[in-house]
Amino acid sequence: MNLWQLVLTELKAIVSDKAITVTLFGGVLFYSVLYPLPYLHQVPTEQQLIVVDLDHSSLSRQLIRHADASAKIQVIGQVGSITEAKRFIETGKAHGLLVIPEGFRRDLLLGKGVTLSYGGDASYFLIYSAVAEGLVSAGMDAGKQIQWIGMLAQGKNPKEAEQNLNSLHLNSVPAFNPSLGYTPYVVPGLFLLILHQTLLIGTGILGAGQWRHQGYWQQVSPLQLVCGRILAFMLIYTLFTSFYVGYCYHWYNVSIQASFGLVALWLLPFLLATAAAGVAMSTLFTRRDLPTQVLLLISMPILFVSGFVWPIALIPDPLVLGSQMIPAVPAIMGMLELNQMGASWASVLPKWLQLWGLFAVFFGLALLGIHRRARAWV
Amino acid sequence: MAQLPKEPTHLIEPKPLNEAQNATHPVSSGFMAQLVALVRRELKALWCDPWQLALISYIPLLGILCLWWLFSAGLPRQLPVAIVDQDHSQLSRMLTRQLKANPVTDPQSFTDLSSGITAMQQAQVYAVVVFPYDMKKDLLTGHTPTIDVRYNSQFLLVGKLLSSQIQLSLGDGLLQVAGLKQLMTGTPKSQVAVNLSPVKSQTTALFNRNNNYIGFLVPPVLVALWQLLSMLVIANSLNRELHLNAAQSESGVSNRLTEHFWPKVLAKILLFTPILMLQGGFILTWLYQYLALPLAGSLALLLFAQLIMLLAVWSLVLLVFVLMRDSARVISFCTALFAPAFAFMGITFPTHEMPQLAQWWRLVMPSSHYIESHVSVVSYGAAWPTVAQQLSSYWGFICLFPVIYVLANKLLPMTANASSGATVNTEAPLPAKGQ
Repeated sequence: MNLWQLVLTELKAIVSDKAITVTLFGGVLFYSVLYPLPYLHQVPTEQQLIVVDLDHSSLSRQLIRHADASAKIQVIGQVGSITEAKRFIETGKAHGLLVIPEGFRRDLLLGKGVTLSYGGDASYFLIYSAVAEGLVSAGMDAGKQIQWIGMLAQGKNPKEAEQNLNSLHLNSVPAFNPSLGYTPYVVPGLFLLILHQTLLIGTGILGAGQWRHQGYWQQVSPLQLVCGRILAFMLIYTLFTSFYVGYCYHWYNVSIQASFGLVALWLLPFLLATAAAGVAMSTLFTRRDLPTQVLLLISMPILFVSGFVWPIALIPDPLVLGSQMIPAVPAIMGMLELNQMGASWASVLPKWLQLWGLFAVFFGLALLGIHRRARAWV
Repeated sequence: MAQLPKEPTHLIEPKPLNEAQNATHPVSSGFMAQLVALVRRELKALWCDPWQLALISYIPLLGILCLWWLFSAGLPRQLPVAIVDQDHSQLSRMLTRQLKANPVTDPQSFTDLSSGITAMQQAQVYAVVVFPYDMKKDLLTGHTPTIDVRYNSQFLLVGKLLSSQIQLSLGDGLLQVAGLKQLMTGTPKSQVAVNLSPVKSQTTALFNRNNNYIGFLVPPVLVALWQLLSMLVIANSLNRELHLNAAQSESGVSNRLTEHFWPKVLAKILLFTPILMLQGGFILTWLYQYLALPLAGSLALLLFAQLIMLLAVWSLVLLVFVLMRDSARVISFCTALFAPAFAFMGITFPTHEMPQLAQWWRLVMPSSHYIESHVSVVSYGAAWPTVAQQLSSYWGFICLFPVIYVLANKLLPMTANASSGATVNTEAPLPAKGQ
């Protein structure tokens, strides 16, 4: 059997195995829709806010209108006391509260400082930050307006007053993911992880199902088998990866910075290393239902240790070091740097070489494992 | 089969308790004996399967502790921020010290902008702050200089945090400068502070007061893991029934799939419920007793909510099992179903912002029902009435029971007859020695 015949046989074995086709084709398609589904609206807007207005003045009403005008906040009503407002939050009717103290307008006009209180439900961080951002900007705006009026009253000219208020301009702009959207944040890393996990499961099931039965896998040398299997899965995964990185990234508004050639060059060792890792891992199993279970259990830890959800600087070093053996971890980080953050090739080169190194290691382990499995038959 | 529970709804309340009350009935005592034999059979099966044993012992322990360890920093601190100081004035150094004083930011000086950008692209720093050339001079001469801040929003969590913290620190530093200016023009000192910020704001995080990520993220992550574990345990246990030799019997119980199917399921539930509850209890004890995260309500309520969630998970797995009746496919399908549960819980991304389709899909996941009770008990200190009301959202799962029962009666005999012809299945449950 030459290599191409072997690749064909492998492809046939993959396609004729229902469990593998369901995981590979079904899983990859299903997850491409299901995982980003909750995040399609991207940014939380119009969070329900309940107001406790103890002042009932023209200024407090203006402040409420300003808060309501913020895209992040929707004022759903006013209540008389903080305890009442708390009940609104506990029943989930509101997610934040604004307390305007008694004598708000009067104190301001008298030139005394006042304190506005904001509260947000920090059990949900995204909601909390949206409420806080919206209220802080509304409150700052109200404060500026008061200051401006005060300065005009003191006889300053409007232009000078304006300049005094904004003596220094703070230009804070998000880089890389300009819309602060949730899918451009989650999708690039998550989709590489899905490719990684399904590829491992596919190779795992295929191997685990074969080792205990005689078959074509014994008629070729371990080297040929490993090469053939990796090639067969590479053919399928080139297709899947093109679909994910090409079409899905575009569909989910992921920002793309690298050129096609660089992305392809980046993904090549990732897929190779993953396929080799899959073949190596498959030699450990003889039960076909096990690879799926093992990989299911480790997928969440891999996602969190890869460093885009929770900063790597805060993850304990032993975990970071240990996770470097998993192809998805350097691949996700490198891909984000290269494609989403526009890093140069030279700066991701160490990670690229690491992926090639992983490929070499897993290739060797795969050879060893298959050699062992083959010898068990003799 | 006369003594079988008529409806699987009986599975919720352990049948033997009800039956024990009228133990004078000869049939029920026979049922009890049968159940004990079945549970013993399950125990033996569990003992002989290293993977199942792993799933109930060291894997959950390892998983729970590892995931907690990962987030154990709790509060994001000392995040590297690049400072490109082109001004080199007393003002720019004061602002840098201001950033240094903030526990979240850890300013690192870069001599030129391009090296700062490169560091940011490689995720070595999470934000860049540029103090422009002649910033202080422009400020003194009445021009409006611009301080540029760029934060890495590809890492959304870090980016948002840094953006607000950098603005806070710089804003406070600039206020001091503006204060000096006011003093210069002869404003009384007592008036300066009020003039600068007439409206102060006090932002309070309700419930999770110090914005601790362990309190925010770790519970849902662990619940998702626990859901996966319970799904796998029961799916494996059910799958085992598919591979047994129908002609033989084990512990005096026939191995034929359709024979005593419901008592077998009941025995599995009786055995695995306490084991899985132990794991769930461990999660809660670890988080709210050992780590002493704030808990407003009672643990007993949470445990009860966990129990209901567990039963919901098992009814789903049972449905999938009855529909698929093939071990690899049952596992694949359950995996596909339960793997994205975390995303649908609505903790990281709020539920009411999800598209309608996602909100419907969310209802299929028992974990998303549970997490609502979890948050309301842990944060709001909800009591029985509220939790009971929340638990009523599981009504869809009760509707599953008759469906499962009907499907099981229809479909299982087909599989049983098919497999009794072929003695050994191709996916035979060879003892997992290789692992």
